Amino acid sequence: MKYDIISAPSYSLVEMSLNEGESVIVEPGSMTWMDTTVKPKTEMKGGLFAGLKRRMGGESFFLNTYTAEGGSGTIGIAPGYSGDIIVKELNNETLYMERGAYLCHVGNIETSATWEGFRGFFAEGMLGLRVSGTGLLFFGSYGDVQEVDVQGSYTVDNGYAVAWESSLDYSIGRSGRKIRSFLFGDQLICNYHGNGKLWVQTRSPRNLAAWVHPFRPVQRDNK
Amino acid sequence: MNIKIDSEGAFGSAVVELEPGEKFVSEAGAMYRASSNVDIEVVSRKKEGQGFFGGIAAGLRAMMAGETYHLSSYQAGRGPGEVGLAPTHQGEVRKVEIGSETWICSGGSYLGSSAGIELDTQYQGLTKGMFSKEGLVFVKASGQGDLLVNGFGRISEVAVDNGVTIDNGHLIAFTDGLEYEIGKAGGGWISSMMSGEGLVMKFRGQGKILVQSHDPSRLGGALGPLLPPRKG
Repeated sequence: MKYDIISAPSYSLVEMSLNEGESVIVEPGSMTWMDTTVKPKTEMKGGLFAGLKRRMGGESFFLNTYTAEGGSGTIGIAPGYSGDIIVKELNNETLYMERGAYLCHVGNIETSATWEGFRGFFAEGMLGLRVSGTGLLFFGSYGDVQEVDVQGSYTVDNGYAVAWESSLDYSIGRSGRKIRSFLFGDQLICNYHGNGKLWVQTRSPRNLAAWVHPFRPVQRDNK
Repeated sequence: MNIKIDSEGAFGSAVVELEPGEKFVSEAGAMYRASSNVDIEVVSRKKEGQGFFGGIAAGLRAMMAGETYHLSSYQAGRGPGEVGLAPTHQGEVRKVEIGSETWICSGGSYLGSSAGIELDTQYQGLTKGMFSKEGLVFVKASGQGDLLVNGFGRISEVAVDNGVTIDNGHLIAFTDGLEYEIGKAGGGWISSMMSGEGLVMKFRGQGKILVQSHDPSRLGGALGPLLPPRKG
């Protein structure tokens, strides 16, 4: 298997060449194009319960496996957002991830929804995704993705954390300590603790949606 | 203080490295990452010695600029710290040095500024404010330090010598001393409207202007009608 990430960091796409018999597991909807030698197979990886857990974590019930059959083949994989893609080699490790950040993987990696490591993510949906095993993992988000090496602690605005290593723990706080910040709707922030890697995104789909909101037509009451 | 600007690709952002005790200010909510020794406070836009009511009046003016009422302020505590700032839209972030020059920023282009910069709101006047897409109030940045602005798309610098015409909706900032008026793009009103350019900003004097390649209100205008109506 060989891969290349093209058009990074703004419109990243994974271009992956598979040798005969090799497979990649892809989040449904993320396959952009592929050779005819690449055959898709849709399955409920890990059975019904695992599928449900994945669904609750904001990912799809089904996962698609693409295998090169009768020769080698190439496949293009891109997320729904325009943004960066990060490649991480997992060696019997666990990552926690925001809903929607998972893109694809090669190897023996399991994805499932979890409460573990996710506390008080009201704005994000209650569950996150736990990704663990051994293999090559691809994930991404809207905007650029920056890697932060956390030594001790680090602060991220709510909604901007993409993924973090399981050695990190976090708590939710408010940015200001004065009563004033409560009155004026201050932002919720996540404080990460421990030593490990954290990935943050530089744009928020929620902020973009909030900006577009005033441009919506106004509903008239026809009484 | 050191500002690292990530300008690769479509999503510009800035990470401001602060020495112990150093301060930085941004548009409220622009922070997406920060080291944990950075104190984050929300401050209302007001001048020193203005008092409570002065602060409110300044805040109201800022509100009319289509900007957030509040600014966020960041201060590194013990040891050096960092704070990352990013705008809402796709596009570049640029650092502007304030010192020998004073810059005036349009409503939504202000991202942040260092502590040595004094921010003041400038009322554009009703006629200009009503007809320009840049808002009623601009932000004037004077003093000594760095100003961060954001643009939708690419940011380019235009030198003004004999006058320059900027399409309404593309202005980011201009140097103090330049004068502008809102006018029609073409010779007559009909040809101006037919050309699709409508109203433009005509600058006179000597100085510099920062313009953005894209007009955010056109994106809003394209997306808005595709969404279900909102309650009025």
